[in-house]
Amino acid sequence: MKKFVSVLLAALMLAGLCGGAAQAENIALKVWGSQDDQALIKELCEAFAAGRPENAWAFTYGVVGEADAKARYLEDPTAAADVFSYPDDQIIDLVNADALYEVTRNHDAIVAANSAGSVNAATYGGVLYGYPMTADNGYFMYYDKSVLTEEDVQTLDGILAAANKAGKKVFMDISNGWYVASFFLGNGCTLALDEAGNQICDFNSPKGLAAAEAIRAFCNDPAFLTGDDTLLQGGIGESICAGISGTWIAAAVKERLGDNYAACKLPTFTAGGEQVQMGSFLGCKIVGVNTQTAYPVEAMDLAEYLTGEAAQIRRFEVRGYGPSNINAATSSAVSADAALSALAAQSQYGISQHVLNAYWTPAEAFGAELEAHSTADLQGLLDQLVAQTTAK
Amino acid sequence: MEKGNPLREIAAAAGTKDWSVRLSFVIMGTAAIRYGQVIKGALYLAAQVLFALFFALFGWRYLRHFGTLGETAQLRVWDEQAQIYQRVPGDNSMLILLFSVLTVAVTVAFLLVWYCNLKGARRVARLAAQGRHINTFREDISTLLDERFHITLLSAPMLTVALFTALPIVFMILIAFTNFDANHQPPGRLFTWTGLANVADVFLGNEIKAHTFFGVLGWTLVWAVLATFTNYLLGMLLAIAINHKAVRLKKLWRTCFMIAIAIPQFVSLLLISRALESSGAINVALQQLGWISTPLPFMTNPALARLVVVLVNMWIGIPYTMMTFSGVLMNIPGDLYESAEIDGAGPVRRFFTITLPYMVFVTTPATITTFVGNINNFNVIYLLTAGGPFALDYYQAGKTDLLVTWLYKLTVNQQDYALASTIGIFIFMIVSVCSLSVYNRTGAVRKEEMFQ
Repeated sequence: MKKFVSVLLAALMLAGLCGGAAQAENIALKVWGSQDDQALIKELCEAFAAGRPENAWAFTYGVVGEADAKARYLEDPTAAADVFSYPDDQIIDLVNADALYEVTRNHDAIVAANSAGSVNAATYGGVLYGYPMTADNGYFMYYDKSVLTEEDVQTLDGILAAANKAGKKVFMDISNGWYVASFFLGNGCTLALDEAGNQICDFNSPKGLAAAEAIRAFCNDPAFLTGDDTLLQGGIGESICAGISGTWIAAAVKERLGDNYAACKLPTFTAGGEQVQMGSFLGCKIVGVNTQTAYPVEAMDLAEYLTGEAAQIRRFEVRGYGPSNINAATSSAVSADAALSALAAQSQYGISQHVLNAYWTPAEAFGAELEAHSTADLQGLLDQLVAQTTAK
Repeated sequence: MEKGNPLREIAAAAGTKDWSVRLSFVIMGTAAIRYGQVIKGALYLAAQVLFALFFALFGWRYLRHFGTLGETAQLRVWDEQAQIYQRVPGDNSMLILLFSVLTVAVTVAFLLVWYCNLKGARRVARLAAQGRHINTFREDISTLLDERFHITLLSAPMLTVALFTALPIVFMILIAFTNFDANHQPPGRLFTWTGLANVADVFLGNEIKAHTFFGVLGWTLVWAVLATFTNYLLGMLLAIAINHKAVRLKKLWRTCFMIAIAIPQFVSLLLISRALESSGAINVALQQLGWISTPLPFMTNPALARLVVVLVNMWIGIPYTMMTFSGVLMNIPGDLYESAEIDGAGPVRRFFTITLPYMVFVTTPATITTFVGNINNFNVIYLLTAGGPFALDYYQAGKTDLLVTWLYKLTVNQQDYALASTIGIFIFMIVSVCSLSVYNRTGAVRKEEMFQ
């Protein structure tokens, strides 16, 4: 085996030398992105090629949104894109399949340029596996200024009291593991991975039980409303006065609320008689380089370009995505955006989403149980949730 | 054509004195070439060479790893010049499994060709010894359009069935005996044989998976029975009602019910699914009418959700059964009813002795198909409830999940291919046993000639 590796290395070096001598190498790269981002990706890739005339670049674009990236990659790694974007919750499965090149070139510059949270989200087992592209895959609260004051939105109790007084609803999708976790994480519970890649979850601890009691109280409040984003988009400003969601509905909510549009970090809630700040997942989209690519160095250059400061500012201008790049995020245009500011305020209470797939279905079942005003023993439900989540 | 035992045929070929027949064992087509069938012999030889090349250059690379499904995963080696971890390609368990299956299939096909070559060699040697006519290549081809026409007709379908149905099924079945799941994804991590571990998981070892399997299986069967027979009975009653002499505007009523079919099924299912949500149209309407104070948990209460899927399935299914039964009803000879009426049979008696037996006889095979279709009725369940409400005591499944939607979730969301494949095998066994045993007992099969 050793001999084989050394022969291969020699061959690689030789190939490297030849590559250096040759003029205008033809470099074909395949790039994946969502349908909505295609025009932007094309524009950025062409700008990248224009800045590097020493090679002949040929890009092919595939419509694979971030949410589908892992599934489509695993179908056939060799047919997958050389450069593709994925949400940070897919990093575990992708690393296990050895799908991603480590970021080793310009590592320190990339870490320095992006927010600590986004770098952490792109890191698994202490290794940086991708180039942070956005830092807006999290949630916060939208509210109607005509119903709730800035003081009301500080606490969940204040929001519910004001909403009940006005006969309005407060929206949160409790039957969704992503949102329901905010109570547990806020009260100091852990949802993370150990070194062997196993899920750690202590939602059935006394702290978790206190959080679950708060969830039950919230679900049983007359002002509580659950559903999906379309419901929030349709009802805010009318029957709904506050709702928890992410930046992807910001434009629709702003249009509905007009001058009453406001966004802020998540409120505090009462757990065990004390006010506790709700936590959240701090989600990012990351650009990764496929280990099966024929041009790793060039693909890395492209990934770095696609996530550089200029590209992130352009992405904000065209698509409204929140930058992970520190300079881009602190630019005046980005900080003027109410939704992104609220997200930034919430992000200090957020954790990276290092969660295995087994968590989501039982968490949804748990949330649905409480939404249905179940009177079942909470400790028993939490024990089942943890058993399912940490099962091997 | 004589039907010899293949082993005896081979032994006879080995025992013959003709050197060319014996040489055909190792160099295919020798006897054919010696006795003048040059093209046929050359084709045999070409097949042998092609197979040898295929096996040596392609098949063996995968087949030799078949026992372990690969030993070395993709390696990483630091490349100082490029400042990256270069990857050294390793084995890929999935490709090894896939191409091993293909190689085995090609080898079996080749052995068949090899056997034909031996048989042909013996025959041509015998014909030559007896001084009889030996077919030229042209004459051989022309038999394919004449006495061996069945081979010409069936070879294309057989080949496609083997390639696109049989081989993938073998591949899928083999996956059930591996640990191919989210933690064993090539090229980073290889999977390997685990024997009957998945089967044991489903039935005994893993409490929660076993509980889920039997829970989901029970609901699948209840659902299939309910979905099939509610549609069957109500569709039949509807058809009889519309077909009744006293009913006017028959075509109008039929058209009304057909409109439900005119809308694509998935559109109506998705719309109904939205309407049934806690703040969907139905709950809002009921609340504004003042009939209920809190939304009804159509999608979140297990019992109610199960009732809802059965009811909605009736709504989209009854028009089809109504159409079928209308056709059958119109085919029942009118004189049967007339003579029954003269004999003094009332409407109930006429229904149970003429209409019902006739309908059951004609529609039973179709009903079995519907039943099997309902066991695997992915659309209605997945689009309406997506298997929900999810349950904490189930493994990645909800209270309205069928085996097939659970399987879908295990594959697409969890990448748990091995478990999904195991469940797939059980679905196949249940479905085939149910349908074959019932089908062979139906009147339509046993008394096929009765209504002709």
